[in-house]
Amino acid sequence: MTSEGTPDPEPRDSTPPPGYDAATTIDTSVAHVARVYDYWLGGKDNFAADRLAGDQAIQAYPDIVYSVRANRAFLARTVRYLAREAGIRQFLDIGTGIPTANNTHEVAQSAAPGSSVVYVDNDPVVLTHARALLVSGEQGHTSYIDADLRDTGRILAEAARTLDFSRPVAIMLMAILQHIDDAEDPYAIVGALLAAVPSGSYLVISHPAADLAAQQMAQMAERLNKLMAEKVTFRTEPQVARFFEGLDLVEPGIVRVQQWRPDTEMEAKSPGALWGGMGRKA
Amino acid sequence: MSAVQPSDELPGKRAVDEPRGGPTVLRIMLGNQLRRLREAGGITPDEAGYEIRGSRSKISRIEHGRVGFKERDVADLLTLYGVTDEQLRASMLTLARQANTPGWWAKYSDILSDWFEPYLGLETAASLIRNFELQFVHGLFQTEDYARAVTVLGYGPSATDEIERRVSLRMRRQKVLDGADPPRVWFVIDEAALRRPIGGRQVMRAQLKHLLEATALPHVTIQVVPFRRGGHAAAGGSFTILRFAAPDLPDVVYLEHLTSALYLDDRRDVDHYMEVMNRLSAEAHTPVATTRFLKEIIQEL
Repeated sequence: MTSEGTPDPEPRDSTPPPGYDAATTIDTSVAHVARVYDYWLGGKDNFAADRLAGDQAIQAYPDIVYSVRANRAFLARTVRYLAREAGIRQFLDIGTGIPTANNTHEVAQSAAPGSSVVYVDNDPVVLTHARALLVSGEQGHTSYIDADLRDTGRILAEAARTLDFSRPVAIMLMAILQHIDDAEDPYAIVGALLAAVPSGSYLVISHPAADLAAQQMAQMAERLNKLMAEKVTFRTEPQVARFFEGLDLVEPGIVRVQQWRPDTEMEAKSPGALWGGMGRKA
Repeated sequence: MSAVQPSDELPGKRAVDEPRGGPTVLRIMLGNQLRRLREAGGITPDEAGYEIRGSRSKISRIEHGRVGFKERDVADLLTLYGVTDEQLRASMLTLARQANTPGWWAKYSDILSDWFEPYLGLETAASLIRNFELQFVHGLFQTEDYARAVTVLGYGPSATDEIERRVSLRMRRQKVLDGADPPRVWFVIDEAALRRPIGGRQVMRAQLKHLLEATALPHVTIQVVPFRRGGHAAAGGSFTILRFAAPDLPDVVYLEHLTSALYLDDRRDVDHYMEVMNRLSAEAHTPVATTRFLKEIIQEL
């Protein structure tokens, strides 16, 4: 239970689930998406296998390093919009990644003190960083759930300890749905999340494109699928738009992430092959 | 494109045992960096030597960190290597300056060992400091009384003047945390370091309270590994990982021994220590639980 603006006297602790053994679950011998992503962002929390996969991808699609930056910037702009203009005070950010600058709770809580943020990721290195570093100040709540996106039941049940699902929630799915292939029905997963939130809630998605820089992106996907623990399925604009079926799209609709309400013209022109959009549940 | 980093060509482990003469590691780091940039630009040592009015052996000495840097030489080399990124140029020139000019610690040179001095340069320059400590509270968070007790343990009680100089150096070091742009500090402490009453109960109680206060700082993260989560990943003992803001500077692992220290910047070594650090952090109490735990220990002391 959360009441907005009232600091929790005993901030909740994200301890590892019972039976969790970090020593056996941190596997650095295979590339993992959060660490590869960190590498592309110029971070230093990555390992040899991650750098190898990251370099292979860069060779196929050199603009990936701009793509991931554009994606982070899209995250910051959408969270700011939601907190400032849409009055959203609760965020469910699935696919957190390794903390970097402008994390969701920092953007949200600076725009709207008292905002609650629940992070979800399934990478043990992310867990390590999130437990230690993604703590919020006294103006809001931040918690972390170690779970897979496919496990929507558990995500929603655990998130309910921090978020009030009778009030609007923004569901943030930043560059994560590409790890759910068509056979696993990503639309059903998004549908299950949307079914749990009330009218006035928002869905924000960014998704690597299959129909932008198509040849390079296809080659990158092929390479990543050989080297990375999480496989990727890039999607076309209509396929990404389908996630928003039944929602009211916020202007400018489904666009390249760098063109979603950019702060500057330069930002709008930066390279990057991800579709992004925001929809409101009526 | 900062994500593309040559990774596996740095020299391996090296004990810093060279004679006194400036912050060795800063030189080594800068030298490494210059070599990588030269090689990336396909420029021979002869060509580089010519550019700075010297020989290939001068380039070799520079790249191995064996000599001090003239700022003009570094600037000329960066230009020759096609480095135009202002941030990178600025951070490398700053490093060159730090590698040459005596640091704030120079006035403590009488008590500083050759192998510890570079650490002070690195600690002062770091943007992130991660540490695992088994025995003691880390120097950056020691109270004066606790620092005195630790110093007496290390050096014996005889030379009072020297002890006080060492304590004063340690207090001076802590100023890095008060600056305008302090490093992010992420420390994992074994419960043993908090239970052992260094300097007696009074001193230890004050020390733990000081540590508790530090946990409230926004740039400080402290996690305790409790006894009951035994068998943690750091069988090797205490260590520190230092990270620098410049994207192209590698992390450095610092390992301190009684009479020497090891500075590792080979990517394979750093990766290994980073893995262990991450495991330790995952096994440790969260920062929130750590503050509760600290309060309990203070109660029980």
